[in-house]
Amino acid sequence: VNWFLYFLLFLKASTFSFGGMSNLASLQRDLPIYHWAHLSDFGKAVAIGQVSPGPNGLWVVSLGYLTYGIPGAAMALLAITIPPFLILPLNTLYRRLEEQHWMEALLRSLVLVSVGLLLSSAWSILAETLQDRWSIPICLMACVLCITRRLGALALILLAACAGFLFYGLHF
Amino acid sequence: MAKFHSSKIANHDTATIGPNRPALWKLFLVWTCIGIQSFGGGSATILLIRREFIERHTWLSEEEYERYWSLCQLSPGIILVAMVILIGRKLRSRLGIIVSLAGMLLPSAIITCLFSAGFVLVQAFSPVQAMMRGVIPATAGLMLTIALQFALPPLKNASSSRGLHLIECLVIMVLSALAISWWHIEIVVVVLGAILLSLGVFYPLQKRGKA
Repeated sequence: VNWFLYFLLFLKASTFSFGGMSNLASLQRDLPIYHWAHLSDFGKAVAIGQVSPGPNGLWVVSLGYLTYGIPGAAMALLAITIPPFLILPLNTLYRRLEEQHWMEALLRSLVLVSVGLLLSSAWSILAETLQDRWSIPICLMACVLCITRRLGALALILLAACAGFLFYGLHF
Repeated sequence: MAKFHSSKIANHDTATIGPNRPALWKLFLVWTCIGIQSFGGGSATILLIRREFIERHTWLSEEEYERYWSLCQLSPGIILVAMVILIGRKLRSRLGIIVSLAGMLLPSAIITCLFSAGFVLVQAFSPVQAMMRGVIPATAGLMLTIALQFALPPLKNASSSRGLHLIECLVIMVLSALAISWWHIEIVVVVLGAILLSLGVFYPLQKRGKA
């Protein structure tokens, strides 16, 4: 592994993302090209990130660990820490930025493109599991349970693990 | 003399805000507690920050907090990390940023690594593999949920205003998803393209519509 390029790919993904999860699409696209990650690693990393404490975005630390051990985790952590420092110059410009009408349009476009990023990474994760009969029902069920706020992310992952064990382990 | 006077004023200033400047170790501990207690991100962590920094310790005022939060929506990457940076700097300047980031991220990152290492140890067992076949599609469902949570506020705004907003929302969301999943376009190009489309095409159209 060329560690410098590895780090740059994580840094790029984080810089061009919005919120903790939308860097997934960029990494899903770049890492497999260099054979530094298998497509199945991403779903695992997101799941581990959900059951671990800390902000949502720490799922990349797990991806770093799964693909490149402790150095990978450290580089991933550094890569998600650097881009938010842009908030310091933005903070000094705040008064001037606040008055600009185009700011609202800019913010909206960032939110909207993140929706696209998140949708395509959800699709990439799901596409890896389509040979299983219960994948699509589990995915939709998870979505419904989360949106109606019946379940937190941690409880959801545990429930899904039970479902997997029942359907594929015991062949219910 | 003037210098002495101003430093006296400065002292007076810090005296009135005096107890509002936490010791570095305390700052570290508070952020560590928040980091370790927050699971599954977003809103729960925001509540924790509000409770610790405004209600329990009065280190921040309500207005500062709101201003930081709306400003952080502009930040690239993790919004919470930007929030940690701003609050850390406000309370203890440069050292405050480092201590706050370390408190919020390091313990949680170490636990995340331990969980990942544990997973690597057991992932070859067949019951674990069966469980993961249930968990992976559920994480896809989770991503879908986050996408919907992002999409709802702009869609709601758009439906209450003119039609052009709604078209903008749908065009950017659908085009960017297709660009990545179908045409495999580089993400940087997709993000910049969306900004360009919004500011270059839709924003002038909306302005003209209003005028």
